Amino acid sequence: MLIDDKRLAELIEESQDQQSEAMKIATASIPDLRDYANDRRHSALITPEEIRSLQESRSNLKSRLGLAAGAGVIGVAISGILSRPVAADTALDVQILQTASSLEILAVATYGAALTLDFIKNGNKVVSAFATMTMSQHDEHRQAFQAQTKALNGTVQDQPNPKYAPIVEQAKPTLKTPADVVTLAATLEQVATETYLSDINQFTDKTAQGLMASVMGVESQHLAVLRAVGALLAGGAADLIAIPTDVTKLPAAAGSIAFPDAFQGITMASPPAEGAVK
Amino acid sequence: MSNDNQELDPNMDPGSTLTAMTSGPFSRRRLLAGAGIISAGLIAAACGSDSKKTTATTGAPSTTVATSTAPTTGATTAPTTAATTPATGGSTPSSEAPANNDGAILMLAAGLEVLAVGTYKAALDAATAGKLGAVPPAVATFVTTAMAQHQAALDKLNSVLTAAGATAVTEPNAKLKPVVDAAFGKVTDVGGAAKLALMLEQIAAATYQSAIPAITDKTGQQLAGSIMIIDFQHAAVLNFVLGNYPVPDTFGKLDQAVAA
Repeated sequence: MLIDDKRLAELIEESQDQQSEAMKIATASIPDLRDYANDRRHSALITPEEIRSLQESRSNLKSRLGLAAGAGVIGVAISGILSRPVAADTALDVQILQTASSLEILAVATYGAALTLDFIKNGNKVVSAFATMTMSQHDEHRQAFQAQTKALNGTVQDQPNPKYAPIVEQAKPTLKTPADVVTLAATLEQVATETYLSDINQFTDKTAQGLMASVMGVESQHLAVLRAVGALLAGGAADLIAIPTDVTKLPAAAGSIAFPDAFQGITMASPPAEGAVK
Repeated sequence: MSNDNQELDPNMDPGSTLTAMTSGPFSRRRLLAGAGIISAGLIAAACGSDSKKTTATTGAPSTTVATSTAPTTGATTAPTTAATTPATGGSTPSSEAPANNDGAILMLAAGLEVLAVGTYKAALDAATAGKLGAVPPAVATFVTTAMAQHQAALDKLNSVLTAAGATAVTEPNAKLKPVVDAAFGKVTDVGGAAKLALMLEQIAAATYQSAIPAITDKTGQQLAGSIMIIDFQHAAVLNFVLGNYPVPDTFGKLDQAVAA
């Protein structure tokens, strides 16, 4: 076989140029990637859009390196590194858990405030018991979310949700009847349910995801009960808010009011960063 | 009697029978006997934007995914979380994607939805025929609404499956069906029907809850969550109707989950 020495030399030179170009691109990009990863480890605020943007950036870089380095060893190696998932993926998980903690803290405070109202504390026994039990369940949810935040080396959120806390404070003086309390509580339960549903597919950490799924179902049950209780109060059937109740006297709508849709929506969901520790 | 030796007995109490069927690893595996398995990535192809579509295949039943893992959160009243990682069976945080079992999970869910729709339809027919005694208006509304919502869930699951090239599920879960039928045969009143419905809703809710961390496709995770919520709510109202506290558990339980 004859070797075209001149052509071989050209190819070697071309290859060296490509490798050099690839190394320039890679070297120039490393600080940015390192900074970004570092930011993600330490910043409290990160959005899914940022993650997608970084992943697109990495993909573009990978393509450019692939073109520059051809199928060379360096190109393959760098391309392989960039194909790996973005580092520090727990940052978003921590934000979600912090926001969830903030919602649970607010829920505990709201039910606690409701239980100081005479028409709740000394009113319908089932409503009072529900408020007490639900407050306790939310507090356990808070503990679980905070513990999982710690497990992911995040900062525990111990403050109420910054968006809804002022709304609850504004509403407190207007709580004059059980129906008022039920409406406010139902709003918080719906926000929690929809927030958790919205976040459920954004986790990297499977334990956190499983935890949120287990809490989400319970919040949705709180919401269902509050919807039914609210409807009975509105319909002047407070006497049917009893355990056991007289099923024969329940209005027909009581059989459907608690779950108006076949699929839960997320229109009231809070974004992951809303309750994150700043 | 160990789970390994359990046989289905139509004369058993429906609640204990259904619970027994879904509570042990062996019985969970048995539930999957004959179940078709869609190849890895199938549902991701339907839901994801950049996954490649693959053809459906059948094969051996997959491994259990519905495990109740020990709490790892450190909370004093820590939950039984649904930290299900089919590839490893562990519950520690991991960034590794689990083995894709999405197709099998959604087919399992669809089979439960078929069963739920069929059971509510049977209850409706029995009530219409006067076999359940007087039916309170709220109960009639509940049955009609819950049946329609399970049908909607089934339609949605089947739309995902068929978009991925799989066959729509039209048959109820093969192992639960005879037990439910036997139990339903003994139902003579609204209370009995409500108890059976509660058990089915709890099984469905737990199955979706356990499925969320097991499904790899993000759209599929959210779909499972959105259906799971409605099943939890059905269960809450059924508990209320039956004279029970409507939210008895602080964290959703997995012990009745059926595995894919």
